Amino acid sequence: MAIIEVDGLTKVFNGKVRAVDDISFNVKEGEILGFLGPNGAGKTTTLNMLSTLLRPSSGTAAVNGYDIHEEPDKVRRSIGFVFQDPTLDLELTGKENLNFHGLLYGLDRDLREKRIKEVLDVVQLTDRANDLVKTFSGGMKRRLEIARGLVHHPKVLFLDEPTLGLDPQTRRSIWEHIQRLNQEKNVTIILTTHYTEEADYLCGKILIIDFGKIVALDTSDNLKARLEGDVVSLAFKDPKMILQIRPIFEKKKWLRRMDVTSVGSNQSMAGRMMHMMRGMSGGMGMDGMMSGMRPESGRRNESVRHKGPNIQSVGPRRLNLLVDDGGRRIPEIVKLTNEIGILLESVELHKPTLDDVFLSVTGRNIRDEQGSFMEMIRRHRIMQQARGHRDSG
Amino acid sequence: MVQPLSSQAIYVVLLRELKRYWRAKSRIVASVAQSFFFLVIFGFGIGGFIGRIGDVSYLSYLAPGIIGMGLLFGSIFSGISVVFDRQFGFMKEMLVAPVSRTSIILGKILGGALTASIQGILLMTVALLLGAFSPSITLGIGIVAAIGVMLLITAGFVGLGVAIGSTITDFHAFQLISTFVMWPLFMLSGVFFPIDAVPPILQVAMLCDPLFYGVELLRWCLLGAGTPLLGPFGWLIALGVIACFNLLMVGFGTYLFSRAQA
Repeated sequence: MAIIEVDGLTKVFNGKVRAVDDISFNVKEGEILGFLGPNGAGKTTTLNMLSTLLRPSSGTAAVNGYDIHEEPDKVRRSIGFVFQDPTLDLELTGKENLNFHGLLYGLDRDLREKRIKEVLDVVQLTDRANDLVKTFSGGMKRRLEIARGLVHHPKVLFLDEPTLGLDPQTRRSIWEHIQRLNQEKNVTIILTTHYTEEADYLCGKILIIDFGKIVALDTSDNLKARLEGDVVSLAFKDPKMILQIRPIFEKKKWLRRMDVTSVGSNQSMAGRMMHMMRGMSGGMGMDGMMSGMRPESGRRNESVRHKGPNIQSVGPRRLNLLVDDGGRRIPEIVKLTNEIGILLESVELHKPTLDDVFLSVTGRNIRDEQGSFMEMIRRHRIMQQARGHRDSG
Repeated sequence: MVQPLSSQAIYVVLLRELKRYWRAKSRIVASVAQSFFFLVIFGFGIGGFIGRIGDVSYLSYLAPGIIGMGLLFGSIFSGISVVFDRQFGFMKEMLVAPVSRTSIILGKILGGALTASIQGILLMTVALLLGAFSPSITLGIGIVAAIGVMLLITAGFVGLGVAIGSTITDFHAFQLISTFVMWPLFMLSGVFFPIDAVPPILQVAMLCDPLFYGVELLRWCLLGAGTPLLGPFGWLIALGVIACFNLLMVGFGTYLFSRAQA
């Protein structure tokens, strides 16, 4: 049974920015669905519409059987929302934050006591419940926010970037909490993330969203299976060599597709602007994904070629080749590079990952995208907050 | 969006305001100390060569005005704090809950009025200890009445604060609001000088200041008389003006808040 039905949902800001562009999908009860996409793709806007915080420009959705236009109050009762920005009251204790939440949702005293005890136990914060939240570490705050979203036993829980800015250990423990919730309470969970490993680990289904449109929706395994073959990833002593070697690989029959990816997440402003503009001109969509599979398909290659002059300025890059039977191609690849005198720094072979899938459907590396300048600053602030006050927790 | 009021939601927001107020002890101390300095330095300093105003000492004249100042600053700031709630996120938690925005804002206004009035009571105690009011049975009744008056005049200013807080989006606007809204309201409320001693143009300005009527009412309660300018039923006029101001501001604040995007 579908607990969320989305039908042609659209949000246009200021009459021109199509933040969410006519998306439709269903979510089954008990599912964990991940919205994967770069910043500014429309993930949070979609959640805000589904939670009735934001009015759609057109289209509609039903959550737990209630239409978001007709019965916003019942929708709100059915959902819990853990926002991307911290929304705890730091001047209150953990328990008080939870108690206020229970009051806002109209729970009586006994029920509040019971639920608070229960959710504190779920996120293992019972022993810190009476401390002021401002003394909590980033991970503890996040866990408390998740607990708070559960006090009123929502049917659906929205998690907006639940682990943004947290260290790997805390992230892992939050993943486990989310999984347990889903299994023990049968809560349907929709989370947004731009960490592919998070989507991979947690989500039964992954919805890749880019420039407000759905570009893929499937299980992680099925998405990866679409990229038949192996990924051979090459690093060069001199990144400029990528330009020289590309035409040689392009002629090979065993090549399914080829992408240039950057290593690390920092790119120059100019590089990022190029990416943004490139993405806007090439209308994405399912057909984009299909054509992207073939290296000959003009647009994709052209776009990579446009990036040529930029390669130097954007730091270390790799050339990713999607090939049949990767292990057997490596000797040939090494031979080809040696023949024209190009020095390889390293060669990696792996099965296609979600990162590769993302690259193939959007034409970009997910880690490249940082969104607008203001967005970067805002994120920086959240991360600082998350990383600050870290104590024993 | 027409949604019913929820008493539980109003209570939550109100309780939150009280707890936050109570926990910010340094703010309470700072504000009481500030008023103390005003009372002592102006009351005894300037009072030394001004002498008496009407038939009360300058300190006594000053005290209701200084209480009014505490009420004004406390209430406007707690209204404007919707900006902080928005900036630091807690507002979203309230907005995504199944309660109406009107409930949230009524809780905010009640909470703000209550905390500002507690502040006023503290200041009244300080003034009392400094000997600003002559103890008597009528003063006892006056003090009770004054507390009612405090709740009344703060509600409108919290409403004004909410209206401001729902409109401005950045912190830089604070300086402007402080200079062009709060200080004029304070200075023109007849704190330092009686209205019948100033040029007509300034009199008109003072008569337009809602806090003037608040201070006027406090003087009626604590000193037993207001300015002769408003006549023997000045307190009734003041009460009427404040009631109108309250209705206007609470309505205005609620409207602007409901309209604002999260």
